[in-house]
Amino acid sequence: MQDYKTQEYRKISITKDEIVPLARKKLAEGATLAMIHGFVNDQGLPNVSYEYEIPGGIESYTVDGEKVLPSISEIYDLGAEWPERELMELMDVTFEGVDTSKRLFMPETMLSGQGQIIVTPMDDLVKKAHGKEEK
Amino acid sequence: MSYVVPIGPYHPALEEPVHARLYTDGEEITDAEVFIGYNHRGIEKLTMQRNPIQTIVLVERVCGICSHSHALTYALAVENIAGINVPKRGQYIRVIVEELERLHSHYLWLGIALHLIGHDSLFMHTWDEREAIMDMLEEISGNRVNYGMVTIGGSRRDIDDDKRRHLLEMLDKIEQSMLRLRDILLTDKTVALRTQGVGVLTTEDAIRIGAVGPHARASNLPIDVRKDAPYCCYEDFDFNVAVWDSCDVFARVVIRVLENFESIKIIRQALDMLPAGKINLGNKIPRIPAGETMFRHEAPRGQLCYKVVGDGGEFNKRVSIHVPTFRNAPTIPTMLRGNSVADAGLIIASIDPCFSCMDR
Repeated sequence: MQDYKTQEYRKISITKDEIVPLARKKLAEGATLAMIHGFVNDQGLPNVSYEYEIPGGIESYTVDGEKVLPSISEIYDLGAEWPERELMELMDVTFEGVDTSKRLFMPETMLSGQGQIIVTPMDDLVKKAHGKEEK
Repeated sequence: MSYVVPIGPYHPALEEPVHARLYTDGEEITDAEVFIGYNHRGIEKLTMQRNPIQTIVLVERVCGICSHSHALTYALAVENIAGINVPKRGQYIRVIVEELERLHSHYLWLGIALHLIGHDSLFMHTWDEREAIMDMLEEISGNRVNYGMVTIGGSRRDIDDDKRRHLLEMLDKIEQSMLRLRDILLTDKTVALRTQGVGVLTTEDAIRIGAVGPHARASNLPIDVRKDAPYCCYEDFDFNVAVWDSCDVFARVVIRVLENFESIKIIRQALDMLPAGKINLGNKIPRIPAGETMFRHEAPRGQLCYKVVGDGGEFNKRVSIHVPTFRNAPTIPTMLRGNSVADAGLIIASIDPCFSCMDR
């Protein structure tokens, strides 16, 4: 173990129904939403974690295996909307209530990353957009 | 008359590609939208095919300005998962490079801001002074951009006594130049006219949207990961978190000037108190144990987050990178509203954006 200060990381599993009440509670407590991260689990389903700052570290509230999640952008404004929009464009996950009429991260003319693990190399998407499959 | 004024993604006034759409009423901006992703290189995906040492080399190339911050944050995350105890000398050397990087980044931004407000003579002077910091980084690492100073378990290069003395001498000179620059920046009429009352982000908005780093501190928000969640032995150093309450572009200039003095203070302490001993653990290619963490780091532009997931295998299972610009760019529409189109470039630049970082 380290003999100097380092950051604490607490992982807590929650259900999708707990996401909004938790965000309201955290905002009332004055906690900052550090980030919303996502990756694809071993079953090919999204794993989304809401990282809240705590003194000396991070509390990570994780929802595993859900493809549709409620948005917390009404609570944390653009601080939540941007990560939600980014994840929607890069992963097979939807945040209910988020405006999807315009892309934030991926170009409008290009395929979205939905259904693929987050952040596919761009040249693969270009090939698919132009109908050129990989050999 | 209402117009939609597009800026970018490729525009002579932008150093990096980003697209902003300004909704205007005459000269006044009534609303704005920002679109990102133009410099996406799939770096997160590439980390999944690399071991930790290869990943350090890769993530160091996410950004050309805060390259050390990226390598260091990834290393800190992996060390946190594995419970690796880094030798203190290695940590201090990391801090020295980190603070030099902050210095040169702040000088770089001050130069760009001066260029954008039309004060080109001071812009050139600022960048000339920045060269001394680049020289110090080159003396320590042998490089001017990607320093290659970080490894899992410590630092890769030592600072011997001769180098330490020379760095302290150079630091005195940089401090003198910074004092001159501070006096000019804080009293110059051109700077004041173009920055005071422009691009205001209130403290409430900074909290609501989640601004970080110097951008948040210029909105009177005293947040700094080095104090709030220390790492790399930052608890050993005496320094202040600078804040300013005018919440405008001028505040963002002042904050960076004040932070330069704090960085000089930290580097001087680290060089004076540099502990004896090893600089790293000599690990060749460590494996990332099964586990996950998210590590926060105070990069020059603000809080840098690395979420690392390991499954005990040779490669990363997942590395997710979120940079300060991703937290600060959403504040741009709020800052632009009510300002004139002529100030849009300066206001966008006032967050010290790094779109390459953000798009990774």
